Amino acid sequence: MAGLGALAGIGAAAGMLPLFALEQTDMSAFSESPVPGKVRWGMLIDTRKCRDGCSGCVVRCHHDHNVPDFGKSKNEVKWIWKSRYEEAFPTASQQFQSPEVENRKVLTLCNHCAEPPCTRACPTEATFRRWDGIVSMDYHRCIGCRFCMAACPYGSRSFNWQDPRPAVRELSATYPTRERGVVEKCNFCSERLVKGLLPACVDSCTEKAMTFGDLNDPVSEIRALLASNETMQRKPELGTLPSVFYII
Amino acid sequence: MIEKALKGGRGYWAWIALLLILIGLGVSAYARQMSLGLGVTGMGRDISWGVYIAQFTFLVGVAASAVMVVLPYYLHNQKAFSKIVIVGEFLAVSAALMCMLFILADMGKPQRVLNVLLYPSPHSMVFWDVMVLNGYLLINLVSAWAVLGAERRGVPAAAWTRPLIYLSIPWAFSIHTVTAFLFAGLPARHLWLTAVLAPRFLASAFAAGTAILILITFILKKTAAFDVGQDARQKLAVLGAYAGTANFFFLGTEFFTAFYSNVPAHKQSLQYLYFGLQGHAPLVPWMWLSLIVGLISVGMLMTPSLRHQNGWLASACAGLVLSIWIDKGVGLVIGGFVPTPLEAVVDYVPTATELSVTLGIWAIGLLVLTVLLKTLVSVRAQQ
Amino acid sequence: MSNRISAILALLIAGAMFVAALLFMQSVHGASSALRAAAPVAVARQVPIDSTRCIASTVYMKSHHMQLLNQWRHDSVRKGNRAHVTSDGRRFDKSLNTCLGCHASNPMFCFMCHEYANVKPTCWNCHISPMEATR
Repeated sequence: MAGLGALAGIGAAAGMLPLFALEQTDMSAFSESPVPGKVRWGMLIDTRKCRDGCSGCVVRCHHDHNVPDFGKSKNEVKWIWKSRYEEAFPTASQQFQSPEVENRKVLTLCNHCAEPPCTRACPTEATFRRWDGIVSMDYHRCIGCRFCMAACPYGSRSFNWQDPRPAVRELSATYPTRERGVVEKCNFCSERLVKGLLPACVDSCTEKAMTFGDLNDPVSEIRALLASNETMQRKPELGTLPSVFYII
Repeated sequence: MIEKALKGGRGYWAWIALLLILIGLGVSAYARQMSLGLGVTGMGRDISWGVYIAQFTFLVGVAASAVMVVLPYYLHNQKAFSKIVIVGEFLAVSAALMCMLFILADMGKPQRVLNVLLYPSPHSMVFWDVMVLNGYLLINLVSAWAVLGAERRGVPAAAWTRPLIYLSIPWAFSIHTVTAFLFAGLPARHLWLTAVLAPRFLASAFAAGTAILILITFILKKTAAFDVGQDARQKLAVLGAYAGTANFFFLGTEFFTAFYSNVPAHKQSLQYLYFGLQGHAPLVPWMWLSLIVGLISVGMLMTPSLRHQNGWLASACAGLVLSIWIDKGVGLVIGGFVPTPLEAVVDYVPTATELSVTLGIWAIGLLVLTVLLKTLVSVRAQQ
Repeated sequence: MSNRISAILALLIAGAMFVAALLFMQSVHGASSALRAAAPVAVARQVPIDSTRCIASTVYMKSHHMQLLNQWRHDSVRKGNRAHVTSDGRRFDKSLNTCLGCHASNPMFCFMCHEYANVKPTCWNCHISPMEATR
């Protein structure tokens, strides 16, 4: 866990650097082109550790990514949010469930599926599965047809029904905003990963309820936790192979 | 040839003026949508498609139904359809045009529409739909225009029109099959995730399409003294009756599978549409109206004594169109989004802006159809 | 005199810290898989790079910066190929932020020229412009 602390330190330092600090990187650390499929980022959420009433990760994510706040209206945009157990796992066993689990809030976000239905539906490759398993959005190419939204079985995608800029409370310099008319969703913090930082939600969680890592690496922490715990994916029967796992 | 559409009586110009007013209304509503975003519609995060995509789905069916006159006439030499074939093809042209306008109206970034061609994605059904719809529009426009032009000069149609017309027959099936695949391939939208969706789309299309064609022939007879013949109407009525029967049969199989299997996900959308779900039942009266009116209309079309009388025939056709328009143009798309992936029941109400744009696009389609049919009628009147 | 001593001391401490940090990193890397989970990608070293000159000649950049930015976006977003190597061997991150790292020192840099050429790029509809950032 020392590594986590050190990384958090770097994260904080990066935040304190002047706005366009990226120029200060030495590119020799990066390979010219990553090998597609070598890495598959995944997340394990321990719902037992997730504190009731805490929404630190949601606030942090939505701030860092300039997610507009339209409240709970039909125009709502969200990347990560809390759902009730039966909303998140409608096909899981519900009968005679313990009241504690029934009332437990579950963090829901894009699952970054290994077999994403959204990228299949996209007519322009504006959304696509990256070399590292992240289901990414190219906001420059999206035509706003919303097929990906109809295709997503998890309700993880939001459309910009109106100009998002005025609804961004505090503009963050860490990520661009979006234009009206494109779809957006969680990007697993690819802008942070490239700097060697953990996703903002993982970083922000005081309870360490989220573990992030490479699902393709058999000795990674996330794989060790997956091997030693009983875990769930959302709607596994659809064959989408989500990269987000849950401990109930 | 198109100049023939510039000569018309008072009624003709009044109709054109009405359509232009509606188009103006639609354009101004669309301008509002363009400046403020799709937020001005009733669509939202949960029900992310609405009237536009529903109209698109219905009209693809109308476009495809031209095959109901083309196929009997060109493949089976049914002479009764000789005067109605081009009417059917022109109807297909205007319907296909409306389809594309509805897609454009639904897009968040219409200025980027060419991205579909710049980055062709064969894994996406939208890509194929854009291909086949444009192709279908072109095939019908070119072949019908060429055949009509030859008719005007009193010469047989050019030899190349035949293979083009033959091509239009499987193409008609393809446009509605691909449109069904837009929906039927999406996991977790259980109202759509059914193999019978494409056959049902074709059946409902051929029912509604033939009914619209029959209604158009009545209008042409009354307003332009152009009669395609009672024989053609009767044959079409029978085709429409059987297509309508097939549609309701397929709907019945959906009900059986959903409710007998008792799988909640399969039942929920149908429950929402026909009985209400978790206290939400905004579409229930509509769906039952559709079902009852549709069944009565099909029954009327099936009964020879009723179908032979023009009044009954026209009202049965109007009933069938209404029924299928509600089923496909309202229920299918909206019902597919309920419940949401997070098991919420959300209602959708279209806004005035949205309805004005819809009306405007229908008016554009009707204007194109009017101009094409006016040309046809004028060419025929010369002979 | 005391200046020189303190300088040497500082150097020594810095060197020791560097070695310690290296050893620590290596031991963590070898011993536990936790870091592998925690260090999702190769951590870019925070070393200043030579940004005294632009990645290409002014003439080229004036006429081709838009194509270059499009190409950079394509490479980094879709292929993960983020390293731009200039003809004289310098390496840069393919990112708009690389450009702004220098050019944002004059917040008007983009705007003046675009205004003059009467072009209206949509970059700042989403990306935070230097004008906004300095506000």
